[in-house]
Amino acid sequence: MALDMAKYRLIFLEEGGDHLEEIGRALIDLEKEMGSTTAIDTLFRMAHSLKSMAASLGYDPIADLAHRMEDRMEGIRADGRVRSDQELALLFRSLEALEKMVEAVASEQVPVGADEELLQLLAEEPLADDSDCSDDREVESPDRVGGEPKKARP
Amino acid sequence: MARVLIADDASFMRQMIREIIEPEGHEVVGEATNGIEAVDLYNELTPDLVTMDIVMPKRSGIDAVKAILAEHPSACIVMCSALGQETLVMEALSAGARDFIVKPFKPDSVIATLSKLAEKTSD
Repeated sequence: MALDMAKYRLIFLEEGGDHLEEIGRALIDLEKEMGSTTAIDTLFRMAHSLKSMAASLGYDPIADLAHRMEDRMEGIRADGRVRSDQELALLFRSLEALEKMVEAVASEQVPVGADEELLQLLAEEPLADDSDCSDDREVESPDRVGGEPKKARP
Repeated sequence: MARVLIADDASFMRQMIREIIEPEGHEVVGEATNGIEAVDLYNELTPDLVTMDIVMPKRSGIDAVKAILAEHPSACIVMCSALGQETLVMEALSAGARDFIVKPFKPDSVIATLSKLAEKTSD
């Protein structure tokens, strides 16, 4: 049987956009509290869900990056917190790459794969923690402190 | 044909399973968006089959499987897994889930798995 993939593309853009917004909010929460269990769980689930939806539609670059992000979040979840400022910045960078890919889908373009360096960094062991990771400090993210993440629309 | 409960936090996946199985004559009697809802809806609807996502908010799919089987040992639950979840699938099967289907879903495979189990439950 054949499924109406055009319909699922629209659902993906709507639900995927919501997921990216949730990831953005969770990352902002992690800036404030690197051990936020709620934010860590949300990030893990959103990356997992994006991976499955993208794979269902054949958007392999999105599925690949979301999979790497999910794996990274699994390690963070096991350790109970984001382990360094660099790791948090890496997650923000991953979100931006995912947003660009979903925007490409919204524009009816083929999403281009994430750069190899990003995929490699996500797969590597976490960097040594060079910071005070008390839960009440603020961490500067690349370019979105206090900003609302963008949402791709159909 | 079976009365089916679909448990998945992603609307995308719930709709896809529904679209795959309804033309085969299965009836979707409920949709749960998290593990707690899955258990509650199972108790309320007592479906013939459940498709259970593993990663869900509030209560994981595996915890929901354990909770349902504790009350309903003959419950027929199929796990929905994704790449990289082999260990979790094994845990779910050990807990009593009957089978699993893999995302991205292949319609023919989903139909075959659910229809096989539906036949067994109707015996």
